[in-house]
Amino acid sequence: MTPLLPLLTAIPLLAAALLALAGKWLKDPVPDLAGFAAVAAPLVLAAIVLARTGGHVLTYWFGGWRPRAGDFPVGIGWAVDSLGAAFALFVLALLLSALLYSWRYLQEERYLYVVLMLAFGGAMVAFVQTGDIFNLFVFFELMSVAAFALTAYQVEEASPLQGSFNFAVANTIGAFLVVFGIALLYGRTGSLNLAEIGQRLTFDGKHDGLVVASFVFITCGFLVKAAIVPFHFWLADAHAVAPAPVCVLFSGVMVELGIYAVARIFWVVYSGALGAFDTPIRDVLLVVGVSTAVLGALMCGLQRHLKRMLAYSTIAHAGCFLIGVALLTPDGLAGAALYVLSHGLAKGALFLVGGILLVTRGGIDELLLFGLGRRLRLPAVAWFVAALALASPPFLGTFTAHALIEDSAGAEGYWWVPLVLAFATIGSAAAIIRAGLRVFFGVGDRDDPLLSEEPTESPPAEEKPRLALMYAVTLLLAFGGLAVGAWTGLAATAMEAGHTFTDQLSYIHVVLDHRPPAPAPPGEWVTTTSSVVWSVVTLVGAVALGFASTIRARLPDAATRVLAAGFAPLRAVHSGHIGDYVAWLVLGTGAIGAALAVAIR
Amino acid sequence: MSVLPYLLAVFVFLVGLYGIVSSRDLIHLTVCVSVCQSSTYILLLAIGYREHATAPVYGDIPASRKVVDPVVQSLALTDIVVAVAVSALLLAFALRAFEHEGSLDPREMAELKG
Repeated sequence: MTPLLPLLTAIPLLAAALLALAGKWLKDPVPDLAGFAAVAAPLVLAAIVLARTGGHVLTYWFGGWRPRAGDFPVGIGWAVDSLGAAFALFVLALLLSALLYSWRYLQEERYLYVVLMLAFGGAMVAFVQTGDIFNLFVFFELMSVAAFALTAYQVEEASPLQGSFNFAVANTIGAFLVVFGIALLYGRTGSLNLAEIGQRLTFDGKHDGLVVASFVFITCGFLVKAAIVPFHFWLADAHAVAPAPVCVLFSGVMVELGIYAVARIFWVVYSGALGAFDTPIRDVLLVVGVSTAVLGALMCGLQRHLKRMLAYSTIAHAGCFLIGVALLTPDGLAGAALYVLSHGLAKGALFLVGGILLVTRGGIDELLLFGLGRRLRLPAVAWFVAALALASPPFLGTFTAHALIEDSAGAEGYWWVPLVLAFATIGSAAAIIRAGLRVFFGVGDRDDPLLSEEPTESPPAEEKPRLALMYAVTLLLAFGGLAVGAWTGLAATAMEAGHTFTDQLSYIHVVLDHRPPAPAPPGEWVTTTSSVVWSVVTLVGAVALGFASTIRARLPDAATRVLAAGFAPLRAVHSGHIGDYVAWLVLGTGAIGAALAVAIR
Repeated sequence: MSVLPYLLAVFVFLVGLYGIVSSRDLIHLTVCVSVCQSSTYILLLAIGYREHATAPVYGDIPASRKVVDPVVQSLALTDIVVAVAVSALLLAFALRAFEHEGSLDPREMAELKG
């Protein structure tokens, strides 16, 4: 049933186009209902596609340009494995949650908001399904442009403009790097089909400057989207100003798509040609992943703007996703995939609670909201359940993801990976717990010398927000994120999907030779003692640090001064100025390129 | 084939980046982004170039005639469409920023930091 694949994208994109044309004349609930329908229909189809992929890779060739077995692929082909199908389903599920939540949340030109969300979601679904590298770029740009516009949705204030401008410029330059890489690959192989490029590069067996340069350009370009240090600066600015339901998609799936693209392209295109250099590639990616995880966790503890704090927490977790992928093992990849699922649901719930605070209490600042959330019982439940899910407690939330990544790292000899994951998890979960304690219970002090300056953000002009619906969606996401870790059967399935994803030859045979994929070894979940010990450590550490940070004002003055001085350079680097961000982007690309050029000769 | 177009692409890209990094004006910055993007067109067209070949339009030339690669040309065209969308959006942001702040200097706009 491969004709299903393009429908997953076509339905939301067509609906977006029609709604953009007709929206002006539609009465109030119609654009929203149309939006729900245009997401719910592909959501059902995506579930069918996922059910059919189990162990298979589905392909679709546009315009009937299916090449004969072994021929050169002239047309544009899509190829979807279990992981891609699961990602598409997840994108659509989060999109539907965000749309349900934002019914009446934003008032101005509502239909245009729905149009942008549909275009954004449709492009993301196409991005995970395509098997053509230029197609990948086109949908990358489509989702980026929709995202830029969504960030600036509340344009009455100056700060949304700064956030979206920085976001747009940084990501556009990332896209240029991707085009450079694509052009070089096309020049070498004469093809734009991922499988064909991979086959030709593997057959050539060369790992010369051109191959390495294209790898560096494409990887760095997509890592800009993934908010990996030193390309991460735009993310905090964009999240701080974007409407809360939009942040759910930004943090839950958009950032992760950057990592997805790096993984997909590495395994299909480069894993054969650069197969002998697994170790240096792994080391370089691990270094950037670890820096991202550590920096995100540190910055997270310094924010009083709740959405900005959550944004830095996303950066910390993005570092963890990259660490999982960077191990270059099927199990590490499976761990990263589970991590994305659990994190996306939990982080989504946290942003939605932020939106509820903005609507009902008129603020998003941790210290100004001190104790004001006492009567918001359900949002408080959602906030702490989501924080728990992110703290990786035993057999809940991100536990299975952590366990898979840690065990896989141990098997590869990277014994310190659990330490980094624990640091990132404790840092970000503690900041979330701290903020929750202050806002919902009034625990600790109303004063915190380590937090950044007071932000300004006015609430969206709402008439009658549908609070019951907002609460329901938020709680659903929070408990969903917590449940992922309890489902070890899902972990076993993810391990199988990881094998299919990382099997380059099998992917090439499916797409170019129409042969069935090689069967993946059955995944088997094993609970290791070390993973349980680490999860207890992260849980206890996060709760303890969370409580401790609510009374940071009681630290002796000297200690506060030393800490503040230590964090000052970190703060200064995040200057909010796009010129600085682009300079870091160039520096980062140069450093990663130089490291790989030296290692791969 | 000459290495010159590739060097030109790198040069244009770096010039554009320098402009973005040092820019004090959002409209100037948007133009610099376009300059950067032009380097991708040069690179794409350079990759599809063939010596002594003509445009890939078969209407009035014999089918045996050598032509340049049409694929990169369509890629460049797609790239231009993307560039138009991004530039339009950036200019719209710049316009709104000027209405709010009375200034186009990105340094004065930096409210979010740390």
